[in-house]
Amino acid sequence: MKTDTPQVPRGEGLGRTIILTAITAVITAVMFSQGKIPQDPKGAIALILTFLFANTLFFLIIYTGKTDRYRAVYFSTFAVMLIVSFISHMLEARGSMSLSEAKVFQCEVPFCHLVIPMTLVPIALTKTIIFPGSLIGGYASIASMFVLWIGATLALGRGFCSWSCFYGGLDDGFSRVLKRPVIKKINPKWIYLPFAVLLFVALTAAAYLSPTYCIWFCPFKAVTEFNAVTSTEILIQTIIFVSLFIGLVIVLPVLTKRRTQCAFLCPFGAMQSLTNKINVFDVRIDKEKCVKCKRCIQVCPTLSMSEESLEQGRTRITCMKCGKCIDSCPKGAISYHIKGTDIPGKRNTYRLLFLFAAFLFLAIFSSHIIQDGIVRILKLVTTGSMIS
Amino acid sequence: MPKIRSIAGYMWAGAAIIIVLATFFGSGFFSRTLVAASGVKISPLYSGGEVMRSVDHGSYKALIHRPVFDALIGESKEGFVQVNWEPLAGLPPVIEEPVDYNGDGKEDFSIRIDTKTGKATLTRINPLVLSVINTVKLDNGWVVRVQLKKD
Ligand code: SF4
Ligand code: SF4
Ligand code: SF4
Repeated sequence: MKTDTPQVPRGEGLGRTIILTAITAVITAVMFSQGKIPQDPKGAIALILTFLFANTLFFLIIYTGKTDRYRAVYFSTFAVMLIVSFISHMLEARGSMSLSEAKVFQCEVPFCHLVIPMTLVPIALTKTIIFPGSLIGGYASIASMFVLWIGATLALGRGFCSWSCFYGGLDDGFSRVLKRPVIKKINPKWIYLPFAVLLFVALTAAAYLSPTYCIWFCPFKAVTEFNAVTSTEILIQTIIFVSLFIGLVIVLPVLTKRRTQCAFLCPFGAMQSLTNKINVFDVRIDKEKCVKCKRCIQVCPTLSMSEESLEQGRTRITCMKCGKCIDSCPKGAISYHIKGTDIPGKRNTYRLLFLFAAFLFLAIFSSHIIQDGIVRILKLVTTGSMIS
Repeated sequence: MPKIRSIAGYMWAGAAIIIVLATFFGSGFFSRTLVAASGVKISPLYSGGEVMRSVDHGSYKALIHRPVFDALIGESKEGFVQVNWEPLAGLPPVIEEPVDYNGDGKEDFSIRIDTKTGKATLTRINPLVLSVINTVKLDNGWVVRVQLKKD
């Protein structure tokens, strides 16, 4: 019989796993379909595949007791499908990936969460949003992204960065390409850089009333939308976007096996780290069980585990709650935890409560993007084009 | 005390799951409430500011926005005024518009736009009017922004 505090955590039994998966199956069926089956066969296939994909991964997470392995598959698929869906959408609406001046003047630029840190000071002082997007309605409206951000922050804290962000799956995916890292030593002080970037972009955005990170530094412009190169300034910006994307999202994650963009640049990630303080879930180390093998320090993609963490029994504030250290610990010393409760305590219960919140966020948030991505791919296969 | 903290922790964790579901179920409602309750708007630096006056030209109209000098605190030394013409279908090949941007009854500048080429010609009357910043064709018309100096 299984106890609630095993030496090395295992998954739930088959019966319990089926019951738990049935719960997510009902919720995801309702949320993914929004009460109706698409008439278009491609849409119906996409809905069924997305549903099966989500619930199979949830089943495996619960049954095997391994979180990160299956989470990463879902998270990276989300990121890839976002690119497929977003680019197709832009090509359909504008005929190109480049942002036209007309869309800026009409305030129709899709808003993403990375802009949020730059908007907060201007909102507080001028009650205005410094972004040419749509407040409500349209594709990726500002208010809907704020609501998602507030919900994710309350529910997951920086867990957002392993369970919700539609960009994070890219460097997460690339960090898994090689079996062993080529670059092993990274100065842990780099984890403070995103906080400096956060301060810099928040101040410059407030001073110029302009989202400076989006204009100058966002690596994801390279795979979403960018200004047509019509001046030297835009050419420099484009070179910066592409270089940061290739360097921090592809090359360095492959070579270091770390999520370098998320760990060493992203200002939103830095802001989200601060929200870990008000979130109920964290990752804790049972000091009695830990044998100081340092495996968790080696595998953490964000350098959120350190020798100090092992001494204190808690991760650094930058922890994204991905579960990789938990999966890797040979002694089962690390676990998800609910603040205010005992350690190790009812670790399986803590894990389940966290997983329900995190997994449902990922599944529901990604569902329409993954469905649209599948439809686009089916269109490509059957008609030779992803757009209508 | 530890028991109370533990119960509070579990309740908060349970609430996290409810928050996730509410975030998605109530997204439309929460978005509208957030905008209405906070009173936030798109910065006039992007929206062009509120329309101050509309001039009817028959098949099309000109919308003259308020001059925008908005800064984080107070006003900046330089700003702009935005003028839109719409609808696209009703516009003549060449638009000519005398503009009184400060509402003092006197013309401050006149702007001429060739809608075939997008070429804009500015005739400055008020010395606070500087130059044309942008001329852009929109889905439903044309827009121009003219740079201004603060009085
Ligand atoms: S650090 Fe930034 S890019 Fe990475 S997952 Fe978080 S919000 Fe997304
Ligand atoms: S992997 Fe586990 S046992 Fe090894 S140092 Fe980390 S917590 Fe301790
Ligand atoms: S400390 Fe563990 S859960 Fe947190 S980011 Fe690192 S590997 Fe993931």
